[in-house]
Amino acid sequence: MASGLPKRIIKETQRLMAEPVPGISAKPDESNARYFHVVVAGPESSPFEGGVFKLELFLPEEYPMSAPKVRFMTKIYHPNIDKLGRICLDILKDKWSPALQIRTVLLSIQALLSAPNPDDPLANDVAELWKVNEPEAIRIAREWTRTYAMGN
Amino acid sequence: MSDDDMGGSGDEDYYNDYYSDGHDPDVETLDKTLQDPEYFEFQCLTDTEVERFINERVEELSTSIQVTPSLAKVLLLMCQWNLSEIVSSYRADAHRLLIQCQVKPSMPANNNNTSMVSANLVSATNTSNRSTTNTPFPSNVGLMSSTSMEKAGDCVTLCSSSSKSECSSRDVVCGSNAIIQQESDVKECCCPVCLCAMKPSESSQLSCCHRFCNSCWSTYFDVEITQGITTRIECMSSHCEVLAPEDFVVPLLPRTRVREKYHQFAFADYVRSHPELRFCPGPNCTIVVRAKDNKPKRVICEACNTQFCFACGCDYHLPTSCETIRRWLTKCADDSETANYISAHTKDCPKCHICIEKNGGCNHMQCYNCKHEFCWMCLGCWRSHGSEYYECSRYKENPNIAHESVHAQAREALKKYLHYYERWENHSKSLKLECQTLNAIRTRIHAKVMAGTGTWIDWQYLLDAATLLARCRYTLQNTYPFAYFLAPGPRKDLFEYQQAQLEAEIENLSWKIERAEMTDRGDLENQMDIVEKRRTTLLTDFQP
Repeated sequence: MASGLPKRIIKETQRLMAEPVPGISAKPDESNARYFHVVVAGPESSPFEGGVFKLELFLPEEYPMSAPKVRFMTKIYHPNIDKLGRICLDILKDKWSPALQIRTVLLSIQALLSAPNPDDPLANDVAELWKVNEPEAIRIAREWTRTYAMGN
Repeated sequence: MSDDDMGGSGDEDYYNDYYSDGHDPDVETLDKTLQDPEYFEFQCLTDTEVERFINERVEELSTSIQVTPSLAKVLLLMCQWNLSEIVSSYRADAHRLLIQCQVKPSMPANNNNTSMVSANLVSATNTSNRSTTNTPFPSNVGLMSSTSMEKAGDCVTLCSSSSKSECSSRDVVCGSNAIIQQESDVKECCCPVCLCAMKPSESSQLSCCHRFCNSCWSTYFDVEITQGITTRIECMSSHCEVLAPEDFVVPLLPRTRVREKYHQFAFADYVRSHPELRFCPGPNCTIVVRAKDNKPKRVICEACNTQFCFACGCDYHLPTSCETIRRWLTKCADDSETANYISAHTKDCPKCHICIEKNGGCNHMQCYNCKHEFCWMCLGCWRSHGSEYYECSRYKENPNIAHESVHAQAREALKKYLHYYERWENHSKSLKLECQTLNAIRTRIHAKVMAGTGTWIDWQYLLDAATLLARCRYTLQNTYPFAYFLAPGPRKDLFEYQQAQLEAEIENLSWKIERAEMTDRGDLENQMDIVEKRRTTLLTDFQP
């Protein structure tokens, strides 16, 4: 078990490369097959539209028995993502199941961008504004997307 | 003495026997707790006795509603061992109970194949009621493979592209548990976790029909058991809450050490979940105390002599309540930075009171111990919280005014705390010193007897007095945390009055004991009586 990569990781990687999820690219690091460079495109008709968000994803030793570790590398104004890029997503925590995959995790993150959930906030100030003054929050999110997730 | 007396009554109250016969209706009807506020009935059980006790309950349930012991254990654990309630709700609506106890999947499955799954459930209901949760459902073999394929989603296509021969699964103890199926009926498919092809004979599923290979199950169980999770292991499938019962888990554990660990942790789970049982907190003590009432009363372990409160398992603390003493002790640990850290970074779970450190930013918390979901800010239940979330972050109306008085407030608070803490600490020291006094008394008695002033029996009362003094001082010590947290008002006034009375009498007793001579005996015994009366009155008036 300890030597080499589990068949599951190999297959998931092959499939991610062969049939990528629309709007998401995930490539394993050349030196570490458990580390993925992920790029998620901001979903259409969301304040993140047009942005390109970099994430890192790491498969711990116990994967798939424990959840992958995922973090946003690009700054983003979102009620469920904090300053350090940490994500509040149930399937990355207590609702993780070994039957879930990298693909499902990335899809969930994409869905989170389309539908922010200020009732389950990670970044309190962002969530507060999102609830009190949604148009203003969306405006800031657009601005951040332009500043940090476009160009370069 | 009347003839009735021959019948005798309990050994403990020989005192009562002496003054009144055991059959006197007035005495019979008297609640013992009224005579002695500290009276508490309990038993000390060894681990074999506890096991027998637990097994008896399991046996009783499994015979009365005809389920396997393994399933009975799940039901008992989920329903806090309330046997009669389980039986009645099982008879009323077995299906609902099994869903509530996470033995069967809840009807609205959160996937596309809802209709198929629920259709299957109806047909499977009768089978699973009668036997184990992992009973094979011979009629739905086709459905099982389709369910796992649907769950597996992506992997089905993956598997078809890879050569099946290279998919090998480790040798796993299948035991009698592996589900027996007509292999020809089921086409081979792949395990959604390891993505290897799996034979029906080398795979298993719970009542939810999520099929995984045995090798993955055992790795999964390994990981869960290492984290101390045993009786609450859920199905591997995403969002499926069906619990894996003992007879499903144990045969899939290949290593004996893990199996032992499982039994050990599960046993602890059973004891902790049972409202009548509590582990003795004494170091290395394996005794479990059993009491019918879950009340904050004093329990003394027969094996290690540890005294503790039955309700919370901490040091005995009457008249202070469990919650108050916990707050007090945390506060007292304040002399180190640890307590500051604990108060700054941790909170107690509002349901099971385990200490939780927040290691992420999210305020939606789930206790790893009892799975209770709550809000970190207001400690309210998360579910009722919903859209009203912002009520708990909105407080700071005028931060400047609040800030200015913070220092003054802190100072006042510290003064108040120190007042109570000094007294608490002082009595704790006195208790230790009086242990020395007891030794001094022993030597003094020895000297007196040797010198011919009285006999051993004449001096015994001095030892009794010292024991009583220790008991009273212990109670007095524990009145301080109570007073600290008591809201000002007539109740507090009354309490502090009684406390002062008790304290004065205790100091009197202590003084008299230290200077006792044989001639003072009557005086001393009178004082003992006064002190004990004061103590009992205070305990009776201020029971938590």
